Amino acid sequence: MKLLTHNLLSSHVPGLRPGGGFPLRIEAAEVRVRPVPFNAAFVSRLVPRLRWDALREAAESLGRPSELPPEPSPGYEADEEFLRRLHHVLLEVEVLEGSLQCPDSGRRFPISRGVPNLLLSEDE
Amino acid sequence: MEHEATQLEKQHVHSVYENTAAYFSDLQTKAWPRVRNFLLEQKPGSLVVDIGCGTGKYLSVNSQVYNLGCDYCEGLVEIARKKGDEVLVCDNLNLPFRDQCFNAVISIGVIHHFSTKQRRIKAIKEMARILTPGGQIMIYVWAMEQKNRRFEKQDVFVPWNKALCSRHFSESNQSGDKGEFVHTAKGQDIHSAQLVISECSYQNNLQPDFKQSETDSKHSRNMDHCLPRACCMKISEEENRFYSALGRSFRSWFFSRSLDESALRKQSDKMKHLKHEGVWASSTVPIQHSRHCSLDLGHHGALLNEQSLDDDDDVFVESLSLKKPQWSPATDALKDFSLNGGHQSVAQSKRDKASFINGPVEDRDCTCGCNKDGDGKSDASKLFKRTSTTDSTDSALDSAVSVGDPTDAMLDAKAFMRYYHVFREGELSSLVEENVPELQILSSCYDHGNWCIIAERRG
Repeated sequence: MKLLTHNLLSSHVPGLRPGGGFPLRIEAAEVRVRPVPFNAAFVSRLVPRLRWDALREAAESLGRPSELPPEPSPGYEADEEFLRRLHHVLLEVEVLEGSLQCPDSGRRFPISRGVPNLLLSEDE
Repeated sequence: MEHEATQLEKQHVHSVYENTAAYFSDLQTKAWPRVRNFLLEQKPGSLVVDIGCGTGKYLSVNSQVYNLGCDYCEGLVEIARKKGDEVLVCDNLNLPFRDQCFNAVISIGVIHHFSTKQRRIKAIKEMARILTPGGQIMIYVWAMEQKNRRFEKQDVFVPWNKALCSRHFSESNQSGDKGEFVHTAKGQDIHSAQLVISECSYQNNLQPDFKQSETDSKHSRNMDHCLPRACCMKISEEENRFYSALGRSFRSWFFSRSLDESALRKQSDKMKHLKHEGVWASSTVPIQHSRHCSLDLGHHGALLNEQSLDDDDDVFVESLSLKKPQWSPATDALKDFSLNGGHQSVAQSKRDKASFINGPVEDRDCTCGCNKDGDGKSDASKLFKRTSTTDSTDSALDSAVSVGDPTDAMLDAKAFMRYYHVFREGELSSLVEENVPELQILSSCYDHGNWCIIAERRG
């Protein structure tokens, strides 16, 4: 599971207050870093779609010192260094084993072999 | 109702895909051209999700966008993962994504697996929820109206033939809907497995630029020539025997009572008419013999001579009389196979319920397409009445299963019947227009036995 994916995920356990399911807290048992070809335009276009705080929080929870600024600075589109760091965090870091925890309900969803399983059980 | 729906889907969608996922691992898959185009049209840097991605065949179409796939079936998702795709396991009815985060969503051959209208609506609403305003969704569902035939009813079980999906296939293409195995039209080099044709997947072997895909006409039909191609295959001795073992019942449809309908029935209990009931009961049982490309017919379906069946077939007659199909000249070898083999295996069944199949089989000269034959019709209706008295009408599943015969092959078919709600023309559009106001339909068309719509999230 890449951190870009994580940034889009929200718990859907029934009965949560609005927004109570985001962001899921990552508990990582195994993390992998794998190079991905860098595409500045691609990364740049992703920026407006991201929940920035959640992204930083996620990066930190993986034990990586936050290489990201508190928020994207104006002119980020042209800032290659920034974009490269963002690219790394979003696309090159993967959680292979661990779990995702719903912030409000505490419910955990497993990640195994890089695949998060967000299914609820039948009685949920 | 909700519980019934989930149980039906659990047994006849999820567990089938889960159990058959392993057979997908070494298949080449191809993407439907229209879907490919839709994906390729997305702007670079877009966030795109394939809801019901299966083995992920659409996840590598456009490398300029971020492709995420999800599916209920872990087995299929595993396969996609091994290919390096970014995937997760989740439920279409409860998508674990925040609101309005995707630029595009595709749902290809998915929502027809939901067994009630409400669930189908919910699936679409969930997908609309995660779309950003201006974002687009493409939905493909199986059409009731197939190229030369129609499904008789909208709620069907499609048998899955595990035996035909073994791993020794050298090459096959997967069609737009997961689970269908496709013939690659390689002429001499044919494995029995490749004879299992489902989708008009032959088109996958043709050029991707179908004229049809450029016209968004609602009634664009595929003028495909896949069947003649299929008919030109040579079948080996081994394959003959292989097919003999399968039995005809493989290539049949089982009709399910629609869960929506059954709810309505309960409400109108006071008003039931016996006559109506008889008809109703029979409709839970029938085996529709259909040779449609987009259905899991297998080889048998593909080889039938197109002209041999009229469009207004009474499908019950046709299937139960077990007519010999009229093979094209090159496939004479097949004439002797399975149909008789199939009869025998069915005839040997000890099950009462299967006995009705033997009735029409004996002595009938099987000719395809004599559906306007009055005798045939009355035989069929007799049969059905007989059937309806022996079958419990408690569950459509029981009915469908009871028709079968307990050979191994048949057990596979019974075990792996997938539920589909096939859509009538206009049904998908209406469903969206009437229930999902947040989406505006941009276009709709018919493609390869599917109804397809593209809609945009308003806002």
